[in-house]
Parts: sequence; C-alpha cells; structure tokens
Amino acid sequence: MRCVAWLLVALAVAVPRGPVAAQTVQNATLRRAQQAYENLEYRQGLGLAQAALRERLSGFERARAYELLGFTFSAMDSILKAVDAFKQVVLLEPERELDPNRTSPKALSAFQVALTQVLVVRQLRVDSSEFVGGQGGGAVGMRYTVTQPARVVTRVVGGQTALKIDSTVANGQVNLRWPARLPSGDPVPSGTYTVVVEATVGQNSFSASQPIRIAHGAVDTLPHLTSLPGYEYLPETEVPPKSSRPMGLALVYAGVALAGTAALSEGDLGSTSLREAGVIGTGVVLAGFIMTLKKPAPQPARGNILYNQLLREQIARRNAEISQDNVRRRQQVQVTVVPLPKSGAGR
Amino acid sequence: MKAVRAVAAVVLAAVPARLSAQHFVVGPQVVFGDYREVSADLHYRGGGGGLAGSFTWKKLAAEAAFVSIKYEPAGDGTAVASFTAKQLDVRVRYYVTGPVSAEVGFVRRKADPEFEAQSVGAVRAGARMAYPLGPGVRMALRGGMLFGPKFSGGGKSSGLGALEIGLFFVVDGLRGRLRFSGDYDFQRFARKADDGSGEVDVPIQQSLGRVGLAVAF
Repeated sequence: MRCVAWLLVALAVAVPRGPVAAQTVQNATLRRAQQAYENLEYRQGLGLAQAALRERLSGFERARAYELLGFTFSAMDSILKAVDAFKQVVLLEPERELDPNRTSPKALSAFQVALTQVLVVRQLRVDSSEFVGGQGGGAVGMRYTVTQPARVVTRVVGGQTALKIDSTVANGQVNLRWPARLPSGDPVPSGTYTVVVEATVGQNSFSASQPIRIAHGAVDTLPHLTSLPGYEYLPETEVPPKSSRPMGLALVYAGVALAGTAALSEGDLGSTSLREAGVIGTGVVLAGFIMTLKKPAPQPARGNILYNQLLREQIARRNAEISQDNVRRRQQVQVTVVPLPKSGAGR
Repeated sequence: MKAVRAVAAVVLAAVPARLSAQHFVVGPQVVFGDYREVSADLHYRGGGGGLAGSFTWKKLAAEAAFVSIKYEPAGDGTAVASFTAKQLDVRVRYYVTGPVSAEVGFVRRKADPEFEAQSVGAVRAGARMAYPLGPGVRMALRGGMLFGPKFSGGGKSSGLGALEIGLFFVVDGLRGRLRFSGDYDFQRFARKADDGSGEVDVPIQQSLGRVGLAVAF
C-alpha cells in the first residue's frame, strides 16, 4: 500500500504541469482579496491584496496581486496609485493585456498610462516564412512594440552567430524584415536562433526574445513548357473543298497535246496518227477524273504554319528562360523560419 | 523467275520509306509508235521496249530514256521493209516558277538498216508545264524546238521547222516507291533536201507513246 502511495507521488511530480495549473492562484490571502473585490468590498480587498504582497508569492500571483490593486484603486478613483500598481504588473508580465470588454474604462486608462511609463518591449512576433535565401530577395517579417521612445537594437544569436539586424530609435510598434542573410550574402546556416530585441533609455533597458528555427531546403525548379496556356497548335494542313479542276485541267492538257499534234503534223504525210496521243491523253483524263472524285489532298495552311512557328518560338524562348532560372534556382536554398515557443518572459 | 523476284524484293527493300527531295527513278517502258517520212506512202507502225531513268535534286532534274522500236510498214503505205529505230532522249530540266520549268537536251535516233529510214540527231530546248492532279498524281505538257538537226541522208531543217510536243503523267504507288507513267512525244522535222533539181520537202514525223513502271530510290 505504501508502495502504491509513493508511486502516485512520483507520478504527480513527474507529470509536467500545464499552463492552467501553473497560472492558478494558490495563495489564500490573495484568493480572499479577489473574493472581496468581486463582492465590491474594495477596502477589504485592498488590505488583503497588500497583505498578500508581503507574503511569499509566485511571479504570476504577484502580478495578480498588483493587478487587483490596480483595479481596486481605479474603482476607488485613486488613479495614480492604480497606475503605479499596473506599472508593476507590466514589469512582471510585459505581454499582459486587459480585456476591454470586461474591464472598466478607468482601469483601462490607468493601464495604458502605466504602459507609457515603463520601458518594455512587448508583443515580439516573428512570422513563419519560407523564401529563397541569399540573394533571392525574400525576408522574414518581425514586429514588436516598445512602450517608450528608446534605442532599440535587434539581434539574432545562436551558436557562433550573432547578427545585428536592426538598430533604431523607436516608440510604439516597429516592423522589420530580415533577409536571414550573413554579411557575406550567404543564407544564415540552419539551426536554432534567438531573436533578441533590447531597448535602452538612459540607465533603463529591457530585452525581449523569441526563439526561432531556421531550416534549409532545395528551391523548387520550374517544369519546362510544352504549351502556352490559352494557345493551342493549329492544324498545319487543311483539306480544300472538292473541285472539278483536276478533270478540267486534264482535259485541257490532253486537248492541247492532241490539237498540237494535229497542228504540227505535215499535211504531205497523210492523216495524223492520234493513236499514241489518244492512249496517253486518255490516261491523263482518267487520272484527272479519278482525282476529281477523290477527296482532295490536304494542303499546307500557311497562316497556321506561321502561327505554330511563332508559338514554338515563344515556347522555346520561355523554356530557355526557365532553364536559366532553374540553373540559378539550383544554386539557391529555400530558407524556412519558424518561431518556437518561448521559454520565459523578457526582462 | 526466282532471280527476278529476288532482285525486285531487294530493290524495293532498298527504297527508303520516305523519299527525300533528292531521288532517283528507273524503270522499263513499253513503247508504241507511228513513223512517217517523205510522203504518206512511207508509213510505219511498231512497238518495242525501253528503259527510262530520272534524277531529281532540288529544282534540277535530269531524264534519259532509251527505246528500241521495231517499225513495220503500215497497211496504207507502200513501204515494204521494216526497220528498228533506237532512240535516246536526254532532258535536263530546271524549275522556273509556278508550273513552268525550262528544258534542254538532245535526241538521237538511229535507224537499222541504215537506209530504210533517216537517222537523226538534234539539240532540244523548250518548256514544260506540270500540274499535280492529286496526291501522287501529276501531269505535264511540254513543247519545244529541235535545233541543228543532222540527218543521215543529209538535208536541213530550220529551228521553227523542227518541233516537238509531249504529254506526260505519272501515278505514284506504294508511297512513291513505284511509279506508273505514260508519256507521249510527237516530233516533226520539216526537212528539206537537195536532190540536184533543187530543194524538196522530205519531212519526218514520229509519234511515240510510252507506258512504264519505275522504282523510285
């Protein structure tokens, strides 16, 4: 029985605690303070929250205690004190946002004022992107919000690489595009990196970070074209309509031969023999007659031939361009940037 | 007979399936003709055989035909002896434009026995009009003059007096490998000879029909 109990304890320790469990208020005083605030007993809630802050609290509980103080002071119209309390909340949880639908305008206003009085870098986001690295022209988008005018330096660090990718004086939201390129122009090697944004005003400084993973892959090459969309080859021959022209011409040719023979014959030599001309002429006329009955042979369609030639030239030209492009693509790498879950907040 | 079949099979197998612009054609011919000389009394008719070949390269074509024809006296004449005429026709043709080609060449005809008929040789120049009647069927009409004729019995003929006209057709078979052809040639020499009493007309006239089968390479 004792073994079973120890096993249960060991399992309870071994199971990772989820965000819900980690973000539950455990401190009894703080829970009483929250209860008092919900019952609109502000003075009691105020005292309990201040008492809770004197006790041992987790970071999350400490932020909840200050937040409760901010809400309570706002409800009691002590705006300056509310701002001070919210400043502590922002320092403890820079990413904290209040739900405008569930928060009073006074508290929201005080929270916004608190944000402007504390130097933090918030909402650092790195987009998931895939682009051609090196000289390919692609870039990964990044953005963050700095709450006070400050010198902000953005770096990417990882392994033996430390790249300064931006340095600027900024206030509010900043958008960046990073081509994931080394100073040499080559793509940043694959691996895990951290984007670090550090804001400095005088002695104050704050930094936020976002881990990312960079992977390399082959750039897709383009297939060669066999046709152009919307353009099709036309038949290069066309069958002309049936015509009696072959028969007519055969008659003309045979007639000319017979008439020519008769005309050229010497009168002194007697009547002209038309046997030879008659036999061959009959053959010609017969051939002409058969050809008149037969389906005419396809004739070259000059317009279509020129059109097809033009189309072939266009496809060949486009394929030559694709070949050149593919040669370039084979020398490039496809860079994939994926943001990873954060392990902790900035400071 | 077996040997003939074997040779025919080899020849046909050697012919490329698709003929190029350059090709060579050769084949036998059956010939029949009508020959008249001097007057209506010297009238002959006959038949024989021959061999014809042609070579075509781009716009240029060369043709040669040899025939041997045995002429027998016709029933309406007074001639009593037959003779054999051996005739060689050579033509070189160059395509000019449309259906028209220009032709030059020569004709040489020898009579055997020598004194039964005139042997003759002349240079020819003329034109030929060809027209395709349909797929693989063509016909042509030709005409020209025979220059500088020489006769075995002497005499002369002016350029305009020596004329020829012809009709020709060809039908291709077996994708152009075999060619059946019919050819008609009419020649007239307005020959004049001096027998001591002055120039007299001694014309020569021949109609020749040829039907042939040829193999194209």
